[in-house]
Amino acid sequence: MADDWLQLFPEKVRALLKCLPLPLLGMVEEIRVREGRPLEINYSGKYHFLRANGSVTQRPEEAYRPDREDTHRLLDLISNHSLYTMEEELRKGFITIPGGHRIGLAGRTVLSGGGVEHLRDITSFNVRIAREVPGVADKVLPYLLDKGRQRMMHTLILSPPQHGKTTLLRDIARQISLGDLGKREGGRPGMKVGIVDERSEIAGSRRGIPAFDVGPRTDILDGCPKAEGMMMMIRSLSPDVLIADEIGRPEDAEAVTEALHAGISVVASAHGKEVIELARRPGLGGLLEQKMFERYVILHRSEAGLSFRVLDGQKRGLLLISPGDRLGGDLHA
Amino acid sequence: MLKLFGAVLIVLAGTLAGLQFAKQYADRPRHIRGLIAALQRLETEIMYGFTPLPEAMRRIGIQSKEPLKTLFIKTAEEMSPPHDRSAQDAIQRAMDSHWKSTALKGTEKEILRQLSCTLGTSDRSNQSTHIALALQQLKQEESVAREDQGKYEKLSKSLGLLLGALIVILIF
Repeated sequence: MADDWLQLFPEKVRALLKCLPLPLLGMVEEIRVREGRPLEINYSGKYHFLRANGSVTQRPEEAYRPDREDTHRLLDLISNHSLYTMEEELRKGFITIPGGHRIGLAGRTVLSGGGVEHLRDITSFNVRIAREVPGVADKVLPYLLDKGRQRMMHTLILSPPQHGKTTLLRDIARQISLGDLGKREGGRPGMKVGIVDERSEIAGSRRGIPAFDVGPRTDILDGCPKAEGMMMMIRSLSPDVLIADEIGRPEDAEAVTEALHAGISVVASAHGKEVIELARRPGLGGLLEQKMFERYVILHRSEAGLSFRVLDGQKRGLLLISPGDRLGGDLHA
Repeated sequence: MLKLFGAVLIVLAGTLAGLQFAKQYADRPRHIRGLIAALQRLETEIMYGFTPLPEAMRRIGIQSKEPLKTLFIKTAEEMSPPHDRSAQDAIQRAMDSHWKSTALKGTEKEILRQLSCTLGTSDRSNQSTHIALALQQLKQEESVAREDQGKYEKLSKSLGLLLGALIVILIF
């Protein structure tokens, strides 16, 4: 599992990446390939260029520049030699490959009726490596379960991109699905979890089977639009907890409201730094105004590590966990 | 006695060679037909099944008859890990190693090669256009091959026999 993403790159780039020291390779978060421009990698929040001999540098003029052959080969490999299966993904501008790794794309857009119809001449790739970090939710989870420990509270996870929302969601799904009955006295039973995985990032499903451990009582609707998927889940799979990534559009908010009123706990994530900021966004403002969520978790990742801030439904701070006292394990994706 | 035996051998060889030539003429339209059916299936897999190429090639291979079966399965293998070659490379390699076992000629090879350049590198409607073009060319080749079959199949059979007989007469 560890370096399966290396297989994705054309031979030349793969050879370069393999020159990186192993611990560093394990920390790589993003690899940016741009045709004719320096090859860039990102680990622990910092960007570096890669030289042709595999060492890192800060000077762009020394860096290796992927050529047309490299980008063509990369696109061929990530689309499994079948670009036509990716039409919907090309419209949205990213492809998620088995393993949950997401590849953002840029190139020339082809318009049809004013909307983006297709991407062609794809020359920029942003490969985000997904990793699972079991136990990352250990510290926060107790604050997200209500007193009787029988129910998950409605939770919204907030952070800017690249701070670990999806990783946290994945671990929450795993832990509540597993439960801890039998491990210790008075443990909580596992709950039925439904994941609406629009971008196939949470579970990283391959042919419907999750690549990541998301718990034994978890059902995944893979590649399904969130709003529709949440409704399908409610109607057909009777989950106790619904999990969705990156809500933001008005129809998402509507589906969340529906789920809350159906007695199902919702754990969702959204881009943002502060709860106040979120209230101004057209899609989510309503949800906040009606105090739909009972807990907010704000993530922040710095060089020192990951910090959590947990707020209650009235937006009062409950808890701050800073990097120094975390349980270990670095967050990615 | 020995002479007679030699004569029989020569006539037999001539006949067999004639039959072999005739078989070539009879097989070519059959193989082109098989190729047409395979490409039509490929189009369905792409247009309605959204099947990735390696998987589609494998399925077509399983459903086809020899020698096309090996050709497509080899292509599928070349496209899958650990080789992971592009459609163009994979088809080229498969053709290089298995073309001889078919009765197909250079024209069909060129049609397939042209198709392989675009296979998997564009959206569905574009793929469909290219496959349709290849199908049209193949159909044309098929009718030419059928004409050849009508003209030369029987001819080469009898020619083989006659040639054998001629050599025998000349020797005696």
